[in-house]
Formats: sequence, structure tokens, C-alpha cells
Amino acid sequence: MEKKYKLVAKVPKTPKSAYDHGRFISSLIEHQIKHFHEIEKLLLKPGQELTDITKIKTELQASEYLKKMTALLHPQGAEKPRRVAPPRKTRKRAKAAKSKGKGKTKSRRGKRKSR
Amino acid sequence: MMENRSFDHMLGGLMKKYPKINGLTGNESNPDMNGTMVPVQPNAKFQGQLDHDPDHHFPGVDLQIFGGTPPRPGRVANMQGFIKSYATQGTGINASHAIMSYFPPERLPVLTRLATEYAVFNGWFSSIPGPTICNRAFAHYGTSFGNVDMNLFYIQDPIQSIYERMVQAGHTAKIYYYDQQSSTMEIVNLLKNQPRIFGSYSQFIGDCKGNTLPEYSFIEPCYNDHPGPGGGQILASDQHPDHNVQEGERFIANTYNAIRTKQELWETTAMLVVYDEHGGIYDHVVPPACEADGKSAPADKTGTAAPFNFDRLGVRVPAILVSPYIPRGTVVPGTEDPNGRIFEHACIPGTVTNFFLKNYDQRTSREKNSNNFLAPLTDILRPDDDCWVFDV
Repeated sequence: MEKKYKLVAKVPKTPKSAYDHGRFISSLIEHQIKHFHEIEKLLLKPGQELTDITKIKTELQASEYLKKMTALLHPQGAEKPRRVAPPRKTRKRAKAAKSKGKGKTKSRRGKRKSR
Repeated sequence: MMENRSFDHMLGGLMKKYPKINGLTGNESNPDMNGTMVPVQPNAKFQGQLDHDPDHHFPGVDLQIFGGTPPRPGRVANMQGFIKSYATQGTGINASHAIMSYFPPERLPVLTRLATEYAVFNGWFSSIPGPTICNRAFAHYGTSFGNVDMNLFYIQDPIQSIYERMVQAGHTAKIYYYDQQSSTMEIVNLLKNQPRIFGSYSQFIGDCKGNTLPEYSFIEPCYNDHPGPGGGQILASDQHPDHNVQEGERFIANTYNAIRTKQELWETTAMLVVYDEHGGIYDHVVPPACEADGKSAPADKTGTAAPFNFDRLGVRVPAILVSPYIPRGTVVPGTEDPNGRIFEHACIPGTVTNFFLKNYDQRTSREKNSNNFLAPLTDILRPDDDCWVFDV
């Protein structure tokens, strides 16, 4: 946040223990999968095998199936890898190197925060 | 649009400090399976308390609203069947009392701050006394096309989604799902046929930063826990039991901040935070009658041995309108006030259509006659220093 705000309220972090991708899927996610399965049936090409959604029991398995189907229907929604600016020291060195005509430095990619 | 929490569960505790908010006095109660009256308790937990997903399908909600009286002419709703309903799910007597729990306001610093800083609706109800899919359909289409359940429906009706209406009229609209692993809920037919009206949450954040947000946006939370890119962990933020409620708070705060911290956007955007249905959790307000939308669900679909004519609403849900044009502490009265106004999810396409498209007829009369949820907006812009930002 660049601008300074007068009224700022702190929001507590969610504990890491809240995460459980092995949690059994709720009725809601089960129906979400069924809906995508109906679409999968419509899109199935000869020779292709329909996903056996009865094997989807956990949220992780559900998320994998949903990703597969969503990527098929809406590839524009894929997460793009972010280019992260190199640390300041590297930038200074790159600038100095450029001015001396020593060529380019490699860009670096940092790890993404995903919460 | 968030998932499965009732008004009293999330905001009912605010009434002590803000008497205009139609919340809990602390004396509301429900009988348990032993006939013991169990009062509401300010002991709601973020996770682990409702791990047995409370029933919110049509017959379960019927039991919750009517206390177990079967459908017959003249039966009276009493909101006395919530514990009975939860107990039928094999929760045990003590665990069934958890359905009466509510959050002390300080436990939900985001939702309660927005509710008290901007406008909270005392009378926003889910559209159907039933589950997610049919209720979300009202937010997208203004009707569930006669459905009261979770089934995927095939639309053979001239009624278009609000997004299609907007785009066809030369306006812009988008549905932002969280990410591909979470995807969209209920409108997979739109994802298949109209992918251009979709985006991801990170695209929403980018559109806010670039000031390229469409005229109307619908934002979906994350519906499941899954690994994130680069080895991180993405938590479900929908607040559906038993997902962590705090993560939903953070999602709402991030969405608010994305608008709040972009001045041009902040001054031209109204943000509605609303829940699709109550998720089987207690609320004390009897859902009112509503204009029928011309459909009827047969008895074999309702599961109550009686048809449903879409002539009464579901259980009350939290709904908050945010804008710097809303005076602090605005409370929109509901059924507790003779001059109160009733809102439900058909108000969403109803208000958006009336605002952008004016005279548009291809929709139900229920949607057309629905109340305008932008009514709390005034002409007076609050000073920037008078509006909060969240440190997430």
C-alpha cells in the first residue's frame, strides 16, 4: 500500500492448520463436479475416456478435476507466471554492467506467495 | 457472493451496540431432541464446529422454518426446527446445539466493520428455502427456472443471465472465479458457451489496478483447499462449513481493498457482499412471502410431499452494501419495520438491469418488481479519511 491511510484495520491471519486438501468434498463440491462432468460428456471426442468422478473424494482431487475442465473451457483463466524484479543490488550491478557495455544480466523469478 | 451463513450467525451479535440492526437479544432459542430449550450462544468457531455440514436442502430447511409441522394450509413458520434438523444428521444432542451459535462482532472484524461503516440490510433473504445452486441461479438469472435443488438445469427459457444481457446491450460484465482449481459454481453452462465473460480473481485484482473493471462484476470465492503455484497453499475462502471463516474475512478484505485503494474506482463503485443461503444455521426472522415467479416445483422435487410455488423466501442472510456515498451506520429496515423493504437475490439482476438497461422485459415479473439495492446511496461523498482500509 503506497498511500498512507488514516483508518487502517488489521485483519488476523488464518492459521496454517486450517489447510486440509485431504478434506472430503461437501455436497456442494460434489454437485459442482457433476455439473462439469455433464459438460465433459458433451465435449468428449471419439477415443477419449470420460473421467470417473466417483473416484473424486477429496478437495485436492476435486481441484485437479476442476482445473482440467476449466483449463479446457477457459484457458484464459490460467495463472500467468509473474516476472519478479531482481533485487536492488542486482539492478545496480546490471545498470553498471550495461553502462560499461558488459551485456545483460539474467532476470530472476521469485517464489510466489499464494495465500 | 459467499456461502452458507445466516444473518444472525454472522451479524446478529451487533444488535447490542447497534439497536437498529435486527439481530439477537440473546433470548432466542430452539428445542433440542430432548425438548430442552437451547438459547443462542456467542460461541461460533472459525472451523471445526460445523464439520458435519448442516442440512440446507429443501426438506431440511422446511423443518428448520416450520419446526416439523408438515405442509398444510395455514401452517405458521416459527423458526423452531434448526436443532431438530441438525440432530437428524447424527450429530448427537450436544453437537446439535452448535447450530444456534453466533460470532461475537469482534471475531469478524471485516464483515462487522463493513456492516457498521456502510449499509447493512435487515431484510435480505435467500430466494428459495433450499440449497446453493437454485439460490445462486436467482443472482445470475433472477429465477431458478422452477428448480429447488442442486441439479444442473438446462435452460430452455428466453431469460438470459445478467451478464449476457449486459454484453448484448454493449455494456461490460464479468464473472471472476477464484482460480481454475476452484472454478465457477452453478453457471458451467455459461463457462462453456460464453467463456469471454469470465476471468480469474487475479485478473480481477489486475483489472482494479488498471482501472479496467467491467461495469458489472460478480466475484466468486475459492471453494476448496488446494496447492498454489510455487508450492503454496490456497485456502477455501467461501466460508462454507467447515471451511475457515477467517479466510473468508481475508478474501472480503482483499476485494474491498482492491476497490478502496484505487481512488477513481472507489468513487464510482458499489460493492455488495451477500451470502447465497443460510447453510442450515439459525436465524430468528421468519422469511416473508414474495411474488411468485410463475414456476412450480412438484412434490417429488421438494421432498416435502407438497409442491412449492416460489411464493415465499428462504432464510435471511448477511448483505452489506459498500460505497463512499453511504453514510456510516446505515441500516436498511426489513420485516421488523412496517416501512421496511425486502430483498432477495433476484434484486441483483433486477437492480443491475434497471440501472444499465432500463426497460428490459425478458425477465420474470418478480425480478422486475424487486427492490433496488442501491437505494442507500446518497449524493454526498464521504471524505477519504473517513473510510477504512484493511491491513491484510
